[in-house]
Amino acid sequence: MSDATLEQSRRALGEAERQRERSERRRGFILALPSFAYMVIFFAIPLVIVLVYSFATRTSTGSTALSDWNLDAYRKLGEPIVRNVVVRSVILALITTLVCLVVAYPFAWFCATRSALTRNLLLVAVMIPFWTNFLVRNYAWRILLSAGGPISSFTEAIGLGETNILFTKTAVVIGLVYAYLPFMILPLYASIDRLDRRLVEASSDLYASGPQTFRRVVLPLTMPGVIAGSILVFVPSMGAYVTPELLGGGKETLLGSYIVTQFLTARNWPVGASLSFVLMAVMLVSTIIYFRSGGKNL
Amino acid sequence: MSEPPGSDLNPAAAVSLRGISKFFDDVTAVDHVDLEIGDGEFFALLGPSGCGKTTTLRMIGGLEIPSEGSLRIFGDEVGPLPPNKRPVNTVFQNYALFPHMSVADNVAFGLRMRKVDRAETASRVAQAISLVRMAGMENRRPAQLSGGQQQRVALARALVNRPKVLLLDEPLAALDLKLRQEMQFELKQLQREVGITFVFVTHDQEEALALSDRIGVMNEGRLLQVGTPEEMYDAPVDRFVADFIGRSNFLAGTLEDVSTVCLANGTRIRVPAVDAEIAAPGSTIQVSLRPERVMIAEESAAPEGAASLSGRVSAVTFLGNSIVYHVGLDWMTVEVEADHRPDLRRHAVGDDVVLWWRDDAIAVVRP
Repeated sequence: MSDATLEQSRRALGEAERQRERSERRRGFILALPSFAYMVIFFAIPLVIVLVYSFATRTSTGSTALSDWNLDAYRKLGEPIVRNVVVRSVILALITTLVCLVVAYPFAWFCATRSALTRNLLLVAVMIPFWTNFLVRNYAWRILLSAGGPISSFTEAIGLGETNILFTKTAVVIGLVYAYLPFMILPLYASIDRLDRRLVEASSDLYASGPQTFRRVVLPLTMPGVIAGSILVFVPSMGAYVTPELLGGGKETLLGSYIVTQFLTARNWPVGASLSFVLMAVMLVSTIIYFRSGGKNL
Repeated sequence: MSEPPGSDLNPAAAVSLRGISKFFDDVTAVDHVDLEIGDGEFFALLGPSGCGKTTTLRMIGGLEIPSEGSLRIFGDEVGPLPPNKRPVNTVFQNYALFPHMSVADNVAFGLRMRKVDRAETASRVAQAISLVRMAGMENRRPAQLSGGQQQRVALARALVNRPKVLLLDEPLAALDLKLRQEMQFELKQLQREVGITFVFVTHDQEEALALSDRIGVMNEGRLLQVGTPEEMYDAPVDRFVADFIGRSNFLAGTLEDVSTVCLANGTRIRVPAVDAEIAAPGSTIQVSLRPERVMIAEESAAPEGAASLSGRVSAVTFLGNSIVYHVGLDWMTVEVEADHRPDLRRHAVGDDVVLWWRDDAIAVVRP
């Protein structure tokens, strides 16, 4: 073959190759289009609207003027009232996350070390509460925790006196832990299941005690599950609205109720919007940081 | 030579198992094993998968607790102790290196767990890493190492603790052939250098023969025979051992007295004196006849006085350095491996031949 024809065939092949790549990219795009459209319409656009409102001005009558753009709403977030609400919400969400972690880890470990049948049964059991309406479950907790309710009767019967947990912080934590525990269990279960049991044996063979093995080998290797579960519990706990209202009695304002109040009662949409946006941004950034660093370590 | 099961405990033994059994539910994984492994010995537990060799190793390492029996390491009973309370370390199959730690941290793990001080840890880790020729790789993660390098790190991680006994679970199984042969040599060298008792488990008879001072062959939870590689090859006492280590022909017969066997076709042959523990006179036995120890010759060419059998060649397989003949006797077929040399006569299918052997070339085995 002459150099010219060789060059020609090479060029034709190169063109065919590029064409195939292009068509494959196009096919991927078409397949992703429905979910992409969904995200734009129901997530990105509303987010932009919230962002726009956060720079708007509240008029003296309580309506929102989409003019006169300013950062007043963001300045208001520095005020002690808002700061207290944020601190309170963060503490509550941290406690909820921690309790979930402590409860879920042993359970996930237990699950992951059972036979296939048992572990499937246990995981279904974890999912069952999702099949009941969230509000109904919160009302059920109201009955359980109320004065004269089953828990109270029990503590009375064993001589500890009446307990009235309802409308306390404890009740809110109980409700949140109950609601979000599965989100902690599932990622933990997945990472424990992936853990190579021989590493535990190796650690023990190398003179590590049980707690040392947990701290040096098991925990670091299941950290992706711990972090994923913690994000999945912490984020909704921060913005929880229904549970604090129903089980906390709305006594102490948390972020969720504060935002609702800003929109519905105080009619200060810019502040509600700015708070929503900041909350969202903080969560997003911390999640991205986690996945970035996770990608490098594991 | 088999270990007499009733012998007294030898206080100098590195590892001593007396009547050790392990049951999983209703399965007997290890069945009354008696075994003594000497200080500084390179010992192989050899057997097919599921024979109980790995379970035996795991019991010595403390990863399984024996169901019955006594297990001592240098005289101390360790049966119920967890792995972290035993002076042994294990090189795991597939190495089980900690993926989230560097090579140096992997090697230092055992010392840190035992709170050895920093300076000593650092120097011992460096020493162990250079012992296995991994210097310069301290900061790599296990995932960045080849199979052979991971194997070396696993060795360093165990040896740095100066265990009294090092256990190795199929140490070379994950490596490809060429690397396996290299590592065999290195492992042997290393064991001589450190002078620690090595106990390793393998299903590869060649590996066991090449590496170990002594071999114990296991099957179905029982320890069948223990001996040097030569003893195991030359004088197997059990048909399974003769079959598992090398290849063999088995001629059925009856032991008439200590050194005479009457084969199934009525031929009487002389055999090396048979230990009463293997078979008593009058019992049914098998004679193990290694293919390369049988001579093949034209009829009437067998030397005077040697045991011989006549037959006809039924198949010939050329293997390059040797030729394998299948010779049909009137009651069985015998495999014969002859050298391929220009000065030796080559037999063809259908030739009438005589098979003969020296009296000491065979072994009487339990059927």
